[in-house]
Amino acid sequence: MAARSYSIALAGNPNVGKSTLFNALTGARQHTGNWPGKTVEKKEGRTLIDGREVLVVDLPGTYSLAACSIEEVIARDFIVQEQPDAVVIVADAANLERNLYLALQILELGAPAVLALNMADTARARGLRIDTEALSAALGGAPVIETVGSRGVGIDALKAAIARCASRPSRVPFALDYGAQLEAEIAALADQSAADPALSARYSPRWLALRLLEGDASVPVSAELRAAASAAAERLAAALGDDAELLIADARYAFIGRAVARAVTHTSADVSPSERADRIITHRIWGLPIFLGLMWLVFQFTANVSAPLLDWVDGVVTGPVARWAAALLGAGGLGGTWVESLAVDGVIAGVGGVLVFVPVLMTLYLAIAVLEDSGYMARAAFVMDRVMRALGLHGKSFLPLLVGFGCNVPAVYATRTLENERDRKLTGFLATFMSCGARLPVYVAFGAAFFGAQAGQLTFGLYLLGIGAALLTGLAFSRLIYRNQPAQPFVLELPPYRWPRPRGVARQVWARTRSFIYNAGTIILACAVVIWLLLALPASLDLRAFNAVEPEDSVFGTTSQLIAPALAPAGFGDWRAAGSLISGVIAKEVVIGTMSQVYSAEAPDDDPDAATPTLLEDIGEIARSLGEAIVLTAQEAINIVPRTVNVIPGVKLPEADLLGAGDKGAEDTTALGTALRGAFTPLSAVAFLVFVLLYVPCMATVGAMRQEFGGRWALYQIGYTLLLAWAAAVIVYQGGLLLGLGA
Amino acid sequence: MLSPHRTLDQLRPGETALVRCVGGSGPLRRRLLDMGLVRGAAVTMIKTAPLGDPIQYRVRGYHLALRRAEAQLVTLEA
Repeated sequence: MAARSYSIALAGNPNVGKSTLFNALTGARQHTGNWPGKTVEKKEGRTLIDGREVLVVDLPGTYSLAACSIEEVIARDFIVQEQPDAVVIVADAANLERNLYLALQILELGAPAVLALNMADTARARGLRIDTEALSAALGGAPVIETVGSRGVGIDALKAAIARCASRPSRVPFALDYGAQLEAEIAALADQSAADPALSARYSPRWLALRLLEGDASVPVSAELRAAASAAAERLAAALGDDAELLIADARYAFIGRAVARAVTHTSADVSPSERADRIITHRIWGLPIFLGLMWLVFQFTANVSAPLLDWVDGVVTGPVARWAAALLGAGGLGGTWVESLAVDGVIAGVGGVLVFVPVLMTLYLAIAVLEDSGYMARAAFVMDRVMRALGLHGKSFLPLLVGFGCNVPAVYATRTLENERDRKLTGFLATFMSCGARLPVYVAFGAAFFGAQAGQLTFGLYLLGIGAALLTGLAFSRLIYRNQPAQPFVLELPPYRWPRPRGVARQVWARTRSFIYNAGTIILACAVVIWLLLALPASLDLRAFNAVEPEDSVFGTTSQLIAPALAPAGFGDWRAAGSLISGVIAKEVVIGTMSQVYSAEAPDDDPDAATPTLLEDIGEIARSLGEAIVLTAQEAINIVPRTVNVIPGVKLPEADLLGAGDKGAEDTTALGTALRGAFTPLSAVAFLVFVLLYVPCMATVGAMRQEFGGRWALYQIGYTLLLAWAAAVIVYQGGLLLGLGA
Repeated sequence: MLSPHRTLDQLRPGETALVRCVGGSGPLRRRLLDMGLVRGAAVTMIKTAPLGDPIQYRVRGYHLALRRAEAQLVTLEA
């Protein structure tokens, strides 16, 4: 007979090694997703305890169950509504007081709980001795187990305690003595709420009474009960001189103080190693250079180090894989049909569009995981908060914005490091104005065609314009849209520094990358197929011409012609420009590809003379280019050093060039350049580039935004950026004409 | 008239004081209380950030950063 399975939840403060303990319990059997309707990561895993299957749910890290943040609401609702058979409260053994504050609230909720004193080794090294028996006795008998999640210490004891706890039939809430006056009011309110059977089936009456006295507006109670609670709170304030919220928090911490005094002995009291490290890392003078240096490293990492692997993925997907698919379909008698075109130009191109982001995202997630795990991320926020606050943002918003210069997609995901949803959304929104690497080829092509030696200034100006747009948008949003919301508090724990654990980091990188492939990947793929369809479908809707139509006569071309007049005030009301912008939604650099197709009426060079390589040659080439990409990745990593040193004016350290490839130089765009000079004036070219910079970020970014912030926010963003891009381009063009620059 | 009690933002680096009460309202006040800034808690000012704000404190054995505006809400025992 199969034993009944049961579920447990892991709760705890942030930065207490909860994830490590989760990994130690569940191993590789875990699944990462989001909490329904929320942008908070949800992790679930399975483990075996005494031969029974146990579902382990990792609750968001919180300091309290006061329901003041999404994380707190999720954690509390899960414990109250899902009624897990046991709650494992993970606490940092070296930082017991604040950790016990959450533990106390969970015990008061009546949940059957086990307290895991994690990182017990660090606590011992810092001279702390904890009497687990005494602590357990103080907490009403809840089992207390010392663990070291990173080394698997204490996991068996923890599992045994979980099994005992889950098999206990009754739930007796832990009752803390709040003193005569408070207790009288609590008892009266508890009686009143116990009279409501629907309510008392769900919440412990005493807990509900406490929450009401604390002024929690999120518990669903009758107006009558709420009125009784506020009357009680007023009586308390009059009698004791303080409000109930303060009195309750006071009583909890006072209780914890006594419990800790009984259970913990300090054998030494030196300054923690973290505090010593902080003397340098967040130093008055060195703090900023250290911060900028690390951010520069992260940027180099995501923008350059991942580039060779990105090119490799792109090459493999558009080369051999596309050829194989074509060959396979050809063997099936479908060669040259629309099926082949859909498979190769739609699906495979779309899959490639997803996969090219994998190397970038993995390097970003690696950098983020290391920064977070080590404890530096909180310091970065500490150092930068003053600057970011001016934009209505949080200190932690800096990293996503910086990453945006490399690629907007990881920038959107990097907002996960922010705690507050409003900050996350606004930062993600602004990050898309950072001019990403894919927009650069467009600037370069136009710059070369129109501005020669001044092209550099143009590019630089566009980057500045992107930053300016983000600045203005940030100011406008925090002044207008978020005007009525109170300023976001900056109450941030600076956790102790720790060495990042490679396995934990690797797991996080993989889980997040996989989530991107599943979620945003779907959108990217869908968009690629839609664009293919628009290009294949003749405007006449004559299906005999399906997939055999010139771009101009396709639905794509007609749509472009429809849009073009709207772009005329910006100086480029040509269907070809409009069409390039539409396909630029796939990825900004595609603008150039489409332009060379529609302006020079030349199909992109497919090198038809070259003999089709055999399967074996293909595989050999894939392996060879992978080897090359790995060498180049190493080279990019090494070159961070000279590139960093070369920032200093007058210094020119040589960069490593392991394959002797040298500077391959820009792509040959002379044909395109001539065509562009025929179609644009220098002024309309600038207006066009301004539009390219600001309009809808690519579909991958939109997909990422939808995944992180929901479809509505992604739509707002599309609308806003289109309007802004159009307005800016029109201002540039019309303003330029007024100034007489149109010649 | 000057308030007879100092607030948390007025502490000098290395100085320790006891919390008297916490002002403010709503989620912010709740957060400050949750983080252990209740009556009688000993708080040590460590330092300010390079740009002068926020400020790093040690309270209950861990480190907490608060913006100056938030630190002003916490009144200290004289």
